[in-house]
Amino acid sequence: MSHDYLKMGPHDVGGENSQTLDTTDYGMSYWEKFSNGLRMAVSSTGIIKLDELRLTAERFGEAYFEMEYFQRNGLALVELCKKKSLFSEQEFQIELENQKRNFKVPIIDLPYSEEVIHFHNGTEHTHERGDFQEDETGEGPPDFYFDVLATAAILKNKNIISQNDIQSRIEKFDSVFPFRGISVVSKAWVDADFRELLLIDAKSAIKEIGIDLESFADIICFAQCDEIHHIVVCTLCSCYPRTLLGMPPSWYKSRSYRSRVVHEPRAVLEEFGTIIPESREVKVHDSNADMRYLILPQRPKGTIGWTEEALSQLISRDHLVGVGIPDNVI
Amino acid sequence: MSYSGLSNPKPKFRLNEEIVISKRGSEGHCRTPAYIRGKAGRIERYCGNFKNPEQLAENIKDADIIPLYRCVFNQHDIWKNYEGPNTDTLEIEIYEHWIERR
Repeated sequence: MSHDYLKMGPHDVGGENSQTLDTTDYGMSYWEKFSNGLRMAVSSTGIIKLDELRLTAERFGEAYFEMEYFQRNGLALVELCKKKSLFSEQEFQIELENQKRNFKVPIIDLPYSEEVIHFHNGTEHTHERGDFQEDETGEGPPDFYFDVLATAAILKNKNIISQNDIQSRIEKFDSVFPFRGISVVSKAWVDADFRELLLIDAKSAIKEIGIDLESFADIICFAQCDEIHHIVVCTLCSCYPRTLLGMPPSWYKSRSYRSRVVHEPRAVLEEFGTIIPESREVKVHDSNADMRYLILPQRPKGTIGWTEEALSQLISRDHLVGVGIPDNVI
Repeated sequence: MSYSGLSNPKPKFRLNEEIVISKRGSEGHCRTPAYIRGKAGRIERYCGNFKNPEQLAENIKDADIIPLYRCVFNQHDIWKNYEGPNTDTLEIEIYEHWIERR
């Protein structure tokens, strides 16, 4: 790359060659959800700015490459709290030990399955094979989670955040945010006035149907059409309209997606099974700063007279980022 | 239209104006990716005014307020070996202090 000397750090990946995409979304572990909830709770107090968190992660240097996404972001928060003297290193170490102690649960011997008698279909019987090894052999949380837990505990003690601030975010990410974008799109498919407003001023349109995005960022909505196919990426980190679409999927945060979509969007789209004809412009949106994007797919053919509820069943998150297109109903 | 609520300064660039992104290095945190520096495009829209993220990252009080634009580029003007058709484009948000007149 001719511009390598301008690269800002390990996060500035747009244009790099990278591997084939893994298009599976692996979801999030509880530890990751907690870490994310804490980060958002602290950010919302205004004590810490998003750009400060970004810079802290970027300055991990070589270590940046060794950490996965939530570890990096979680540890950036911990480090920034220390730097801002929200607590001392000593306070942190004491709390860290407390948190680790909570996880030192003695390992209990598994029962012999022959000795356990229970009922199936009303009949008392025993099992001959060892089928009790489930949770007892599960691994504990990753190391960074203790740092995150200790930080959360200290900030709660200092009344900077509450447990509910974290918990309510975890719950909304699970059961509220992921469904908002889908409801916006299905409404736009049945309501022409709403669609028009959505394309001119998405934030107002979304607010009008009672969705509070709790964010200062602006939303821009682009409609897929026969002439243009839109696709969204954030090459620098993982900017994403989280309160509208939920957490970004694993691939959206991946180095391969972030580096490749900008310079070979059609190849990336093909890896998602989305073939765009040469006659249709592919427009890549690098969501690198203060705007956030929602892609409005074309309403599938064969759905005349369908209700919003029925239409919403045809929509997936991938369509709203532009990597996929909903199938026509035949 | 600006949700940032910061009305000044007025934007320097006009809609569709031909521009080039500054080809210079940066220290610290910055939202202008390396791949777009030095590339020629045009202004797609003015997005409103925002605090300079480079200063926000350093926790500088009274960070500068800067117009933000979305700029559009032909993919072939960004990448020497771009393989798609000539009509393919890329749009990206760029703060005014990174934009120059062509």
